[in-house]
Amino acid sequence: MPQLEASVAIDFHSETYKDAYSRINAIVIEGEQEATQNYQKLAELLPDDHDQLLSLARMEGRHKKGFEACGRNLSVTPDMEFAREFFAQLHGNFQKAAAEGKVVTCLLIQALIIECFAIAAYNIYIPVADDFARKITEGVVKDEYSHLNYGEEWLKANFEASKAELEEANRQNLPLVWQMLNQVEQDAHVLGMEKEALVEDFMIQYGEALENIGFTTREIMRMSASGLAAA
Amino acid sequence: MFGLIGHLTSLDHAQAVARDLGYPEYADQGLDFWCSAPPQIVDEIRVTSITGQTIEGRYVESCFLPEMLATRRIKAATRKIINAMAHAQKHGINITALGGFSSIIFENFNLEQIHQVRNVVLDFKRFTTGNTHTAYIIARQIEQAAPMMGINLSDATVAICGATGDIGSGICRWLNQRTDAKEMLLVARNQERLLALQDELGRGKILTLDEALPQADIIVWVASMPKGVEINPAELKQPCLLIDGGYPKNLGTKIQHPGVTVLNGGIVEHSLDIDWRIMNIVNMDVPARQLFACFAESMLLEFEKWHTNFSWGRNHITVEKMEQIGEVSVKHGFRPLLV
Repeated sequence: MPQLEASVAIDFHSETYKDAYSRINAIVIEGEQEATQNYQKLAELLPDDHDQLLSLARMEGRHKKGFEACGRNLSVTPDMEFAREFFAQLHGNFQKAAAEGKVVTCLLIQALIIECFAIAAYNIYIPVADDFARKITEGVVKDEYSHLNYGEEWLKANFEASKAELEEANRQNLPLVWQMLNQVEQDAHVLGMEKEALVEDFMIQYGEALENIGFTTREIMRMSASGLAAA
Repeated sequence: MFGLIGHLTSLDHAQAVARDLGYPEYADQGLDFWCSAPPQIVDEIRVTSITGQTIEGRYVESCFLPEMLATRRIKAATRKIINAMAHAQKHGINITALGGFSSIIFENFNLEQIHQVRNVVLDFKRFTTGNTHTAYIIARQIEQAAPMMGINLSDATVAICGATGDIGSGICRWLNQRTDAKEMLLVARNQERLLALQDELGRGKILTLDEALPQADIIVWVASMPKGVEINPAELKQPCLLIDGGYPKNLGTKIQHPGVTVLNGGIVEHSLDIDWRIMNIVNMDVPARQLFACFAESMLLEFEKWHTNFSWGRNHITVEKMEQIGEVSVKHGFRPLLV
């Protein structure tokens, strides 16, 4: 039986690490910033849940500040231009759906796809993070579960009416996630995060969310692998 | 509710099964995809005991493939097992058997160090390797199949290949205490463990595989290897009973020789049909009734409401525990597969 290789110690202050961190940290900061705006937009679209959604938006704002501190702690300047470009397509799809009043698509993009991706990435990051970032990230990931839960509960309550739009929005947006992941595969590797583990954790989290909403195993297997082969 | 964590025997097999079950997204994919694939509950099971009691279970496909070990994608292999366990626990399954390579990977890579999986704290009491029941069933197969082939145990030499493993050592203890087997040949790779086992049993010859095979009337194959091994049937005694306790079971197709009988080891037959699809997939001869004994152990633990890790760790299988699980195995209508 082959043996597990010992993991190599990470030098958080090496130039290679800090260079990769400047992009990954920026993505996280930009992701939290866009999440703040997305929940504010959802609060307008869903007046019944207005206050709850604004509270979720404020949490995302606090996460952003936490991750900015992680970058400062390693004396890294986040490459925000890279990050804005990184999210451009997904962000554009959210804004377009919001402008058309497509709440279900907006929830799928922000409350399911982005939250599941954040949870997967943060969970994979925690064991390989520096001590400062680990504490921040552990706090954040707990909040993100509650955000995911908001989307799940809303979509579960409106499952039949949302199902077709969810499937279509999944088809349009999930392939973007795989492409985004490919873009940062090398940087994530430098941080000790393996792409196949990220994909697996995302698919687990996303699959659980779809199951809670009401999809069958067969539908989940189809939806959560959508576009993966082509990526 | 009971659970079974299983996996398919190769990438080709996995692709074919995915195609048969109607999952084209999985069917066309190579090993990279399976290394990222999440665990899935793909079967719902109902089992009725001959006592009339009915229980429900779930089959969790871990998406592990033996190629992951062969190509040294160890992290992927270990993730599959841990994630399948977390999946089972999250779905409220009380007792789950770690089938095929799952328990071997768990043991070999010390996965008991991993308690926290995302937002799940693994409760190892909810899992069993199923090895006690497997060891019991193989021991009973030896006792019952040998006379059917004209082999008298009290005159027989029994070679146990993989003797120091969890299942192998349990079988050795049973043969030692419960039978009058004439001679035991202990075959394994680790000399230190072999000597410790020989010391514990107070008997048994330590031999290499090549030395042991031609001397044995009964060969018990319980070594864990991702790849198979070549056995030349012409060098075996005749008659010879070969009990293949490995996974996948391939000695039967490789060894076809008059006088050598290959019996699928660690397989039980239930007295009543089981409502499930999964045993079709692993090519059992009678899919509604035949299953791995390790899977049956989780059913037995559920029937008896012994929601505990009955089989856990390495080399803890005592004859008393084998008798205990054997008693409820008979009670609920399971019997060892025979020739």
